[in-house]
Order: sequence, then structure tokens, then C-alpha cells
Amino acid sequence: MSTHQNANFKMGEREMILITGFFAIIAILTYMFPSLAETNSAGQIDWITMPLVGFPIIASGVLMAFASMASRRRKHNIEVPIKLASLFFSLFMLAITTSLFFGILESINWDFSIFNSYELEFSYAWNTTLGVNWHVGMDALSFSMVWLTTLLLPIVMITTWEEKAGWYHHPLILMMGGALIGVFVSLDLFMFYVFWELTLIPMFFLILKWGGSERRYAAQKFFIYTFTASVIMLLGIITLYFLNDGSFDITELTRSSQAASDRGDVWLGAKMQNALFLMFLLGFLVKLPAVPFHTWLPDAHVQAPTSGSMLLAGVMLKMGGYGLFRFCVSMFPDALVNFQWLLLTIGLVSLVYGSLVCLGQNNLKKMVAYSSVSHMGVITLGIATMEPLGFTAAIFMMFAHGIISPMLFAVCGSFKHHYHTLEIGAMRGLARHSPFLGVFMMFSWMASLGLPLLAGFVAEIAVLIAFWKAFGWWVLLPGLTLVITAAYYLWSMQKTIFEGGLEGELPESLQGESPVDISRWEGSGMMIMALLIVLFGILPWIVFDMMSGYSLAVFTGILGFGGV
Amino acid sequence: MVTEVQLFTEGGQTWEALAPEITLLLGVVMMLIIPNLGDAKWRIPMTQIRLPVLFGGKRFRATSDPQLPAMLAVATLLTALWQAVMSQSGEGQTWYLTSGSGAEANLMLRVDAFSRLMESVFYIALLLISVAMIDRMPAKRGKSLQMKQMINNRRQADFYILLLMSAIGMSIVTMAMDLFMFFVGLEIASLAIFVLVAFQKETPEGAEGGAKYFIVGAISSAVGLYGLSLLYIWNGNLQLLSNSVTGQIGLVEAWGAMDGVGALPLLGLCFVLVGFAFKVSAVPFHFAAPDAYSGASAPIGGLLATVSKAMGFIGLIRVLAMIASPEAESSAVWMMGLGIISLVTMTWGNLAALGSDNPKRMLAYSSVAHAGYMLAGLTAYGAWIGEGNEATTGAGEWILAAILFHLAVLVAFKLGAFLVLALVELDGPITSSKDLAGLAKRDPIIATAMFIFMLSLAGVPPLAGFMSKFLLIGGIVKMSLVDAASGVAMSDLHWTFWLALAVFLNSAISIFYYLRIGVVMFFDAPPNDRRKPLAHAWYIRFTIWACLTGTLLIGLNADFLIEYCQTAAATI
Repeated sequence: MSTHQNANFKMGEREMILITGFFAIIAILTYMFPSLAETNSAGQIDWITMPLVGFPIIASGVLMAFASMASRRRKHNIEVPIKLASLFFSLFMLAITTSLFFGILESINWDFSIFNSYELEFSYAWNTTLGVNWHVGMDALSFSMVWLTTLLLPIVMITTWEEKAGWYHHPLILMMGGALIGVFVSLDLFMFYVFWELTLIPMFFLILKWGGSERRYAAQKFFIYTFTASVIMLLGIITLYFLNDGSFDITELTRSSQAASDRGDVWLGAKMQNALFLMFLLGFLVKLPAVPFHTWLPDAHVQAPTSGSMLLAGVMLKMGGYGLFRFCVSMFPDALVNFQWLLLTIGLVSLVYGSLVCLGQNNLKKMVAYSSVSHMGVITLGIATMEPLGFTAAIFMMFAHGIISPMLFAVCGSFKHHYHTLEIGAMRGLARHSPFLGVFMMFSWMASLGLPLLAGFVAEIAVLIAFWKAFGWWVLLPGLTLVITAAYYLWSMQKTIFEGGLEGELPESLQGESPVDISRWEGSGMMIMALLIVLFGILPWIVFDMMSGYSLAVFTGILGFGGV
Repeated sequence: MVTEVQLFTEGGQTWEALAPEITLLLGVVMMLIIPNLGDAKWRIPMTQIRLPVLFGGKRFRATSDPQLPAMLAVATLLTALWQAVMSQSGEGQTWYLTSGSGAEANLMLRVDAFSRLMESVFYIALLLISVAMIDRMPAKRGKSLQMKQMINNRRQADFYILLLMSAIGMSIVTMAMDLFMFFVGLEIASLAIFVLVAFQKETPEGAEGGAKYFIVGAISSAVGLYGLSLLYIWNGNLQLLSNSVTGQIGLVEAWGAMDGVGALPLLGLCFVLVGFAFKVSAVPFHFAAPDAYSGASAPIGGLLATVSKAMGFIGLIRVLAMIASPEAESSAVWMMGLGIISLVTMTWGNLAALGSDNPKRMLAYSSVAHAGYMLAGLTAYGAWIGEGNEATTGAGEWILAAILFHLAVLVAFKLGAFLVLALVELDGPITSSKDLAGLAKRDPIIATAMFIFMLSLAGVPPLAGFMSKFLLIGGIVKMSLVDAASGVAMSDLHWTFWLALAVFLNSAISIFYYLRIGVVMFFDAPPNDRRKPLAHAWYIRFTIWACLTGTLLIGLNADFLIEYCQTAAATI
């Protein structure tokens, strides 16, 4: 057999991939260690470039290439080793970020922030003709997002371990993680845009490959919507580049903006700053998404697989919030003041409209998707208050929603997985048939509607306080919206978990099968998320302090009027 | 922009300047002779002695090899490429080639960084096409469904002779400093390409596409030539640059020195522009393009989309240099007109591509759209000259470099997409996107490559297509920030800024049909007659890999190519 194969040996893709993969691994090994040996002026080691960004992307590429070869030969079941390897890599990344947070790898005090100064800042020349650098670094804002991403990756992998088959599911999640972290750590506009677009591709494939029946429409809508918004942002980036003598450097741009506001000038002139602000804002609002631009989200969420939804709601929406802080707030302070009314309106409309639309949904996932729109409105509101506490609350909302919404989608996912339907009311008596799923559903629903001692509550109450400080009794408007939130959550829970549940009332979609409870994998993923929600609900200061430090730094640094 | 030259000051008339062209000519001659060598003998009369004359008779085993012409062409092109690159490595040298000497020395060709860059790009494209076509016209019967009738290798030799002839014409186009010389080069290349387009004459689409392309092309050439004659009447010569030796005034200077705009030169220029607009398939001269692209075999479609278009753009750059000369008062009006053409071209191209199901036609319309983007760049270039060079330094060179960069990287991803179609085409002609369905199941690597080419065409980072779009938009935006000091308001922006916005919105439209190809490839079941794995045609696969490597590498690090393009743009 083997001699026969040798006789017919042809140089095919498999061999090419084998060779490429071999060289890729060699390249990783030879490149990663010198980059780890690199130290910056603060004596810190470059933990970002290779371990957090380059490695997951390259590793997922290599994994997919090998898995593709092996699956074509159909000799071995490659799926489990590939999943294990992806999980291992994501845990490795989590270990790095967690050690960074607790100051094990580097002695960094994240609670202490200076505006526009970054930890682990590294810069390597990328394209000298255009002045593009591979410039990475993290401050408290980006670090909280990076930590959230690395927290979510293993959770997503564990939760969807059994649900979706296929050898490139888990590597795609890994690649997604690398690209997302790339967005958060970029300190170079060009690099930022590259990663911003790069996140679309794994998500496009996740939705297309494992999505629901309308996945094609949803995936294309998702891609086209966000791509259109980001090309407008790219126009803004290019304009900014030329207005500043060919600099893509975010730190430099922020510094010159800060210098202008210290002098009392309007950086780049009022009209130009407003225009640039709007160009960037559009890109971020579509990503966030805020209400006039939100229509891609319900489609994408309903059609996306559980893993896709979890990542989309957990981290990808936060790219919009992150961008608002990094650019709209830190670079264009005067335009931010000018357009406070716009942010306020958009935030309020998103909050109220999202909640109201939720009430009308009979699809569980769609309801959760609209609740995301509503929660993202809280972020916009937090920024619009122009209070340090509002900023802190917005960032904490990003973090908390990043843990809660994946859990919501995990619950929806196992619901769909075990009951083959997402219709509210089709399945009743969850408490009787699938008690564990029922418990997790209730827990996550409660977390999302803002039950005290859970993470969502901290963010909401902080936003309301900041809102009261800024606008006084108008706080009733967002405050009352919470009642609507409670209404739709309670209503859907009541219909699904508690009512009915007699033996004869199983949904038709089960087709006579007996209902099953969640699997061990799903259970462990949800359990981790539930523990995290409780942890950050009871002890919010773990991350709240560093976000608060960041917000104060932004206020003293550029917005000119500080103090709580 | 140089408007006047001192002849023979740097370099001279050397053979080294024309080394690639001479190599190509030798290649053509070899290809005429070598495949015909056989064991023919001539018997000396009255004797029994038979002398081998080698020409004719039963061909030798080596000379009857159907792959021989391809090998010859590849060797020739590689040599020419090597010569072109080597002569420009290190300190770039410039040669001036004249038609006579002394007081009659009309500057005909100028060999510089620009021409060497474009030559290299053309040779690389033709090289990829040659390799991809190595086994497309096999001697064995029935080996290829597409070309069943082509059973002897004469036809193979014809193909490569035409390819090399077009290469000679293209080289002249890149070097020509005299518009008449330019047209001669353009016609040498065009005539060869007309035949290449009609090479699949057995299929009705091939015959139709070839005939349409020839007729429209011939008419536009005639119109262009008429325009040239008008310009000749006006100026007395067709030199681009003024010549201090002969005292002739070049077209660029003459145009700039003109009071107002004369009817005669304006008419002449319009006609010349029509000729080039056909080549770049700008609206409304694009109607033959989709038929030609879909009728021709896929690699030749790639040739039309990359090389043929690049020739047209070289012509536009040369001619627009005249219109947009700093002294010309009327350039603003001109630029407005060109801007409108570019806007219509890109929008029309994208909308038509949205509605076309045949991947080849889709790529043809996307080519029209890309022509629109580059015309937008040229508009901004002209506006830059019109506003006076000192306003925003370097914007014009930036735009020209971006256009050259785009023409160069098109060879990576546009030709790559056509080469993937060529591979699929081996199982039968491609008429709709269904023929690409399930490509990922049949061959995941090729499907991934195609998807990357599509993303690159759409301008998704970090691929080569993104870099080219980025540079182009960057140039336009740089130009439009006329008053680049801080405190600039949106109303102070030059109107070309909105052209940049239009390019972006158009690329947002275009992502739709590029993604559609990806979706069809990855998530549709293959049609019944296309379930087998793709043919193991190493020659096409090799070229696809080369294009893929180029797309990724240039996207990740475009440094050297940008620098090269900037050097080249500075010499225009």
C-alpha cells in the first residue's frame, strides 16, 4: 500500500501545507522567544505581541491546516485533539492575562492610571514608507477588555464542546480571540483597522457554517453592515493621518489633542473635529449597535450558533464601546461636548426602544438580542453623562454584559439544542423537565435584569447615579425602562420555566422524545459564568477600581474638568 | 513632471536598454523555428546522399513535445524579467532612445524606473499565464474537454507567439515618449490580444466575445489615431516632452502654453482619450468587456483585466500629464468631467456586477469598477496640478505611486481569481456561479485561495487589495486637504474628498458580490456534473499559489513595492 502511494507521489496541497505548517511552527518558535526576551523602557517583557495576538492567530491557522489534512485522509478522529489544543491555547492566554492582572508577571498597578500612558508598550517598525508601526500596549480600559476576551474564550469552547461538530469550530474561536485582542491592544490606527476588519472573517464563517436556516442572509448582512460603517471610519482614519503629518500613532494623536486642549484650542479646528468625530462614531455605533443601526444584530444573533452569539455579544459589541472611549472621548473632547445631545438621544432611544421591542418578541434568542441593544444603550448613556462615574459605569457595563450575555446565549443555545425550538411558550415547565437548565436560565435572566449582588446591577445603578448627577430627575426615564426590562424577562421566564410542564405538554418540536437536561460541558461553562457574575456582583471593586482610575485619568487628562 | 529633456546627458543609446525586448524577439523567432524541426532530408541530386535539412518532415521527439512552446515562452519571459529587474537594481539608470541623431534626434523611447517597473509587472503576469496554459492545449486527444479540437501543437505555438508579441508591444507602451510610438506599441499588443481573446473560436461565446472585442477595439483605435492626427496638425509633432536639441515643443509644454483651450487640440485629445478609455473599460466604453472576458479562456480574461488595463492607464497617465499641466487654465473643468466619468464608472461597474451571475462577467464588471477607482485617483492628480503643486506637497506623486501599485498588485489577486476559474474550467466552461458551488468540498485549499482573492478585491485588510485601495484613497484625501494646517473646516476640503467617499461607499457595495462567491463556494452543494475533486493540474495550482503568496505578502508588508512605485512615479 505504501509503496503504491510512493509510486504515485505528487506534490499536492497536503504536502505544501505540511511544509508550510512546519515552517510556520519553526517561525513561531524562533520568533516568539526573542520577542519575549524584548524589554521596553519600563523593563517589561512583551507579553502582548506574540502570546496574546500573534500566537492564537497563527496557532489556529496551523491547527486548521493540520486538521484539514487529517480529515481528508479520514484516518483518525482529529476533532477531539484539535479542540483540546485550542482549549489549551486559550487557557494559556488566560493564564497570561490573569497573571498580568494580579501583578505576577509584571508588577503593574492597574488601579493607577495616567491618561494616554500605557503598560507593556512596544513598538516595532512595520511599514516604514507609510509610517505604520506594530505598536501595542494596554491601559486599564483595554486591559479589562483583553481580560474579558481571554476569560470568555475557554468558556465558549467548553460550553459548545459537544454542540457543534467540526474540526475548525474551535480554532476559529481561537482566531477570533486573537483578532479581538488585536483590536484592543493596537496603539496604531492602521493596525487597529486591520484587526477591526479581521474579526469579521472568523465570525462570518462561524455564522455561515453552523448557523440557523437563514444564516446566509444574516451572515452577509452582518458583514456588509459593519464593513460599510468601518470604511467610513477608515476615511476618518486616513484624514486624521494626513492632518497630522502622516502619523497613525494613537498615543501621538492623543497627545497632540491633549496639548491642544491644554492650550485651550480645539484640536484640528471645530468643524473638522466634529466631522472626524462623526465618522468614527458611525463605525462604533453600528458595531455597538445603537438604535438606528441595530438591525443587523437580531438577525446575526438569531442565526448565529451559540459560540458565535456568545462571542458576538460578549466581546465583539464591546469593540464599539472601546472605540468610543479610545477615539471619540480621548481624541475629540470638544466634539464630544458638542454631540453630547446626540449620544444622549441615541442612548435613551436604544435603551427604551430595545426594551419595548423585547416585549413583542416570541423568539427567545431575538429577545436576548434586543436586550443587548438595550444594554448597549446604557453604555452610550454612561458616556453621555460626562461624569467620571458614568464612564466607569459604562466600562463596567461592558465588562459585566460581556459575562452575562454569553450566559444568556449559552442558555438559549442549550434550549435550542435540546428542545429544537426557540419559541417562547412552545416549551413549558422547564423546571420539571430540565431543572438545571431552568436554574441557569433563571439565574442569567435575573443577572441580566439587574438583580442586586449580581454584576449587572452594579453597572446599572452606577449609570443611574451618574445620570442623576448630570441630568437630575430625568433619571426617571432610564430608571423606568428597567421596569420594562423586568417585565419582559419575568414574562418569558414565567412562560418557559414555571407554567405547565405536565407530561402531555411537551413541545411538538421534540417529536415524542423525552426532554433532556444540559450536558456536563454546557453545565460547567454556565457554572463558571454564573460564578463570575456572582463574584463581580459582590466584589465589583476587583475591576471597578481600575475602571474608575481610568475614567478619572480621562477627565483630568483631556476633558479638563475632573473630580467626582 | 519633466517637461524638457537634455538628450544624451545621462546614459546613451545602448543595447542594454532594450535587452528585454530583444530577448522577447529572439524568443518569438525561436518559437517559429524550434517546434518545426524534424528529420527532413534533402537528397543531393544524382546521388544517394541525403543531407538532413532539419526543417520539416517528421518532427523529433523533443521538438514535437506539445509543452515545448510553453517552455520556450517561460524561459524567454524569465530572461526578459531578469534583465528588466537587473538593469534597475541598485542605482536606477535612464536611457533615452532617439529616432535619429544630432538635430533630428526625436526622443522615441525613455527607459527608466517607471518603464522597468511596468515591464516587470507585465512579464510576471504573462509568465503566470504562460505557466497556467502549459497543458491547456495538449497534443493527446481528449485530455482536455475545453480544447478538444486543438490536437496539434502548432496551435500551442501560435498562442505563445502571440503572447510574446503582446509582451513586445507592452514594453514599447511603457517606454514610449512619442504618442505615435505609443500607439504603435499599443496596437502591436492589442492585435495580439484580439487574437488571444478569440482563441476559443470553437465555442460560440469565444467567437462572439472575440468578434465584439475586436470590432469595438478596432473602432476605438481608429478614433484614437484620428485624434493623434488632429494633435499632429496642431503641434507639428507628437513628442510628449520638449526637445532642446531639435527645438521642438512637446505636447505637454504646448498644452500648457495655450491661451484658453483651442478646439483642435481639445477634439484631438478627446479622441485619444476614447482610445484609452476602451482599454481601461471605463463607462461608456466598457460594453465589449464582459463578453470578451467571459468568451475568452480564463487566463486570457485575467490578461485583459490586468495587463491590457494597465496599458490603458499608462496612456491615460501620459496624456493627462498634458491636460493637467500646471499652466493649463482649463484643467479644473477637465477634472470635473473626469471625476464624473470615474463616479459613473465605479457605480455602474459595481451595480452591474451585483446583477451578474457568471463569475467571469462579475470579475469583468469589478474590473470596470476598479477602473473607476483609479480614474478617481487620476482626477485628484489633475486637481492637484491644477491647484498648484506647492499646496500639498507630494500628493500627486503619492497618487501616481498608488495607481502604479494598484496596477502591480492586480496581477496578484485579479489574475489569481481568473487562474482559479481556469482550474475549475478544466471540468467544463463556467457559465454561472453554480459552477463554483461546493468548491470547498472539492478542494478546500483552492476555495480558500479564491475567497482570499475575493476579499482582497473587496479591500479587506491585511491583503494586497486593501493596501492599494488605502494608498489610492490616501492620495485623494491628501490632495483634498488643500489647506493642511490645523483649523481646516469641512467646507475647505477640495471636492475630490467626496470622490474618496464615493470610492469607499462603492467598495461597500462591492463586498456583497465578492462575499456571494465565497458563500457559494463554501456552503452550496456542488452540481451533479462537478462532484469530483478538481483536476490535479500542477501548473495552474503553482500559479495560484504564487498569486496567493503575493497577495498575502504584499498585504502584510508592502514596503518595498511602495518604495519602488514611488521611485517609478517620480520619473514619470
